[in-house]
Amino acid sequence: MRAEELKGHLDALLLATLEDGPRHGYAVMEALRRSTDGRLDLPTGTIYPALHRLEHAGLIAGSWSVVAGRRRRLYRLTAAGAGALAGKRADWRDFAAMMTAALERGPCPDPA
Amino acid sequence: MPGPSLIGDYLAVLSADLPERIVSELADGLEETYRHYLGQGLAQDAAARAAIAEFGEPRVIVTAFTDASGGRNIARRLLVLGPGVGMCWAIVLIIARAWDWPIPVAARVLFGAMLITVIGLLAIAAVGRHYRSVCRAAAAGCLGTAILDATMVGTVLVTAPAHVWAAGLAAALSAYRSSLALRNVRRALTG
Repeated sequence: MRAEELKGHLDALLLATLEDGPRHGYAVMEALRRSTDGRLDLPTGTIYPALHRLEHAGLIAGSWSVVAGRRRRLYRLTAAGAGALAGKRADWRDFAAMMTAALERGPCPDPA
Repeated sequence: MPGPSLIGDYLAVLSADLPERIVSELADGLEETYRHYLGQGLAQDAAARAAIAEFGEPRVIVTAFTDASGGRNIARRLLVLGPGVGMCWAIVLIIARAWDWPIPVAARVLFGAMLITVIGLLAIAAVGRHYRSVCRAAAAGCLGTAILDATMVGTVLVTAPAHVWAAGLAAALSAYRSSLALRNVRRALTG
């Protein structure tokens, strides 16, 4: 799946990867790949700005740590982020149910 | 960071546009990606090339950071608020016959020039492509907005106290806007 197809859904995917605990940027990307069976086709570098945007919005919180001599920024889900993720999940279920009902229905019977 | 010069060159390109703390975070991710490819058996240069390809074009990354920056966000919010606040002040100025106020022409011109400058700064921050100039323009635009709002409120209080009643809504909107602008100066500067 390409970046333009993900528009509007990337935030939910990123929030979901942080649901199990804090991760750094590369680990978020790895978790996204695993959860989408490798079908996600995003430049890794663009994950970081998206994480910063979510941090500005207060949905995740970042903090610096030093691991093996390298500075590393870890992100965790905030309470507001958990609430936003629950809302996005509910929206997605509604949307998916509507699309499935509309697209997987059999061909319309001939009115004649 | 250890590793081939290819990765160093890539990070140097990003450093030209992005602040050190962001490049440092990207360097960590790039190092992880590089190690991942080394672990798959690639030679150093091949691993570096694969890691860079996976990260994406520096221009795309810089654009994404610029779009996600706090400076761009606050500049757009202030530009959206601008016409409404301006309209309220325009009504106050008409009701209070501001053209009769004893304010020197030079002061009026200075205020107009500052208003145009602030709008220009916020527009640069809202649509500019360079991360650092977006952050600086947004911070300056925030400060300028607060100064303009304080000037308007102060001028009405001093010059036309009889019309303060008419300025209530405009002053309240200005207070909200300047508070929003001042709270976001630091965030605009740090991206």
